[in-house]
Amino acid sequence: MEPLFTYWHFDLGTVILFLLFSWGYGYLSGFKLQKGAGLYFGGLSLMLLMELSPLHFLGMHYLLSAYMIVHIVLLLICGPLMLIGLPRSSDHRLIWQVSRFFNYWPWMGWLSAIGVMWFWHIPAVFESVFPADHTVFSFHWIAFLHSGSLLLAGICFSWPILSPVRELQVNPLLGIVYLFTACIGCSILGLLLTFAPPTLYKHYFMTDEFGFAELIKTSWGISRAKDQQLAGLMMWVPCCFIYLSGAMVMVYKMLVKDERV
Amino acid sequence: MEGTYIPEPEEELPGLNVSNSQGLLQWISSVDHKQIGILYLFLAVLFLLLGGAAALLMRIQLALPGSTFLSPEMYNQLFTMHGTTMIFLVLTPAILGFSVYIIPLMIGANDLAFPRMNAFGLWITFFGGLLLYFSFLAGGAPDAGWFNYAPLNQRQYSPGPGIDYYCAGLLLVGAGTVGTSINLVVTIIYFRVEGMTLGKMPVFVWMVLINSCLVVGAFPPLNAALSMLLLDRQLQSHFFNLMGGGSPIVWQHLFWSFGHPEVYILILPPFGMLSEVFQVYSRKPIFGYGFVVGSGIAIALLAFGVWVHHMFVTGLGNTVYNFFAASSMLIGVPTGIKIFNWIGTMWGGSLRFTTSMLFAIAFLVEFTIGGLSGVAFAVVPVDWQLTDSYFVVAHLHYVFVGGSLFGILAGLFYWFPKMSGHMISEKLGKWFFWLFTIGFNLTFFVHHILGIKGMPRRVYTYPDISGYSLLNLTSTIGAFLMGFSVLFLLYILRKSVKTGEKAPNDPWDAYTLEWITSSPPALKNFDRLPPVYSLRPLRDLKQSSQLQNHTDGINTNILPSKSDRGGSFEKNDN
Repeated sequence: MEPLFTYWHFDLGTVILFLLFSWGYGYLSGFKLQKGAGLYFGGLSLMLLMELSPLHFLGMHYLLSAYMIVHIVLLLICGPLMLIGLPRSSDHRLIWQVSRFFNYWPWMGWLSAIGVMWFWHIPAVFESVFPADHTVFSFHWIAFLHSGSLLLAGICFSWPILSPVRELQVNPLLGIVYLFTACIGCSILGLLLTFAPPTLYKHYFMTDEFGFAELIKTSWGISRAKDQQLAGLMMWVPCCFIYLSGAMVMVYKMLVKDERV
Repeated sequence: MEGTYIPEPEEELPGLNVSNSQGLLQWISSVDHKQIGILYLFLAVLFLLLGGAAALLMRIQLALPGSTFLSPEMYNQLFTMHGTTMIFLVLTPAILGFSVYIIPLMIGANDLAFPRMNAFGLWITFFGGLLLYFSFLAGGAPDAGWFNYAPLNQRQYSPGPGIDYYCAGLLLVGAGTVGTSINLVVTIIYFRVEGMTLGKMPVFVWMVLINSCLVVGAFPPLNAALSMLLLDRQLQSHFFNLMGGGSPIVWQHLFWSFGHPEVYILILPPFGMLSEVFQVYSRKPIFGYGFVVGSGIAIALLAFGVWVHHMFVTGLGNTVYNFFAASSMLIGVPTGIKIFNWIGTMWGGSLRFTTSMLFAIAFLVEFTIGGLSGVAFAVVPVDWQLTDSYFVVAHLHYVFVGGSLFGILAGLFYWFPKMSGHMISEKLGKWFFWLFTIGFNLTFFVHHILGIKGMPRRVYTYPDISGYSLLNLTSTIGAFLMGFSVLFLLYILRKSVKTGEKAPNDPWDAYTLEWITSSPPALKNFDRLPPVYSLRPLRDLKQSSQLQNHTDGINTNILPSKSDRGGSFEKNDN
């Protein structure tokens, strides 16, 4: 058994995603690195790190909690980072159109994130995300859709409050309600996972293909039941703190805006 | 004076043709926010006397070891009714009373957005309370504690009708509270006078807005739980019945997902009252307005993510406990920020130690004690040791009385001249302050020691163990002192209304719009108002170069004419 930190792996779907989103940036910025590009590509690199690292390996084979960390980072950190990194000075028509869309229908952004989060946790859907074969150049459509949808939903969710077109960002008070209700949506799912029977996701009851099960159970002290609880709690408590931090930024913006007026 | 549009309901108020001479009928049929506010306060006083009487009976029982003054069954009913009454029928109506009275005046509106819904909220709360107390006549009051845990709330453990009355009564009270909260949210968002942007809203208005949102979010789980429990008891469903496949723990989750935000529901508006009191009696603007508002919002958001700390002994597992211990400690941060904001407001100010200010300063001490014992409960092993002991009783009373009630009393002494048109004698007020504060600490501080010594709560008697007897007797003496001081307060208020010095419009040299209008305000609050440019519009007005003109304006134009005062409902059609 190799040490865990050596379990990096190449995933064709993730690389395709990286290339697609990189091309997207180029398309919007006229293929020039503009101010904020670091944040955009930082978010994208973080996605790459999450999807190719031993953390992802653990999530794929052993720990729902590791899977949940990847999930949360893609949705609530990578997505917003990439959105903040979009070219601010761009007068690209697409950015304006999307900004106007989310300004009129901010709940669509809300629905995309909360919907995606709930959808991928339906047990049958959850099981289908894991590819049966792990050859280097294998391409698994559902896993590709899973990662892509989380990243895209993260961008859509953040758009109404962090739109690159500042004047089309939603009112900060509405932003607070937006983030708070998202926190509730996320808490309820976290709560269900925390208190559901530990056999909810059968995938983690499969055979110990890489020989880490004993290490995780005895040395790390993480049983199947504890793992599921941990995953649910991550979605419930730290996730809500991310939303709460966003809401605090909204409060700050609201009061500063008021002072300027 | 520059005229400003005064927001008021677009629909005319119902044209009740009832004159002053009809006294009680006028009050019963009122949809005026000020009269409804006062009725809410009367409701709170009525139930304070009932809930207080229950407390005194319990303290008589506990004054001596092995007492048989009350039966165990009656003791169970009394502590259940005491807690339920004080939370749902005293503190909540008192907060709503001040909110519906003061908010329209503070934001420069002539009434709440939905005046009839306001009256509905009051009366359904009142009838919910009556239904709850009717249980005493119907075969026995609820007896499973104010949080009514399963399986004690199931029919096999509580066969009397008390729990059913608990469910029905609280569903009605909850409906009224949610209705009034929605009304307040709409009023604050849509009825603010021109110029009063969100960043220029008084802190009390902010806290009521946040609080009302909290009510709308927190009460549905309670109402769901009460409905499920009624189904369990009346139609033999099995939501909380383990034998039928249900789960008693689900009741705790549902109850505390309401119950913990409820703690903040009862403290945020007093925070707002205190913010007004501190700035006016320190003659300084609030220190760190943004932080006071922001921390209020943070408390409200965090309130929904910490309820599991009430369930540290239910066996949910250490993983769960660790997360909720951390989040519970975190919620102490925004509360601590506020304490520093108020100290900062007083710092360097020109302080006036009125009765209201004394209650505000005492609040800082009492609430900090309650807050610190609360943080202690976030430490899981401490919670395991002290849960269900008298330490919890001490903690919750330092939060609800030392926090909420002290804040409400500060607000009462601050706004009483505006509401009644009469000043309260400061001398008598200070007597009340000292009697109440000493009585309160005498009653509840010793509960910390009793809890640490291991005395469990909710027991109808105790053995003659060294320390228990003296501490319990001390607590009983303190409780009677508190009871006496409450009666003394009612005497002071009545005396002030009857013979008190007439209150000017702005007796405290205050900052916000409610002090522009007459004391008490006429049925129509305002005809005209100055534009709002800052957090202290009245001060701006007073300091403007056209002070004399404005003063004339206040006397002759802004305030309604004398004939309007205490007037009839026909005036409502304006």
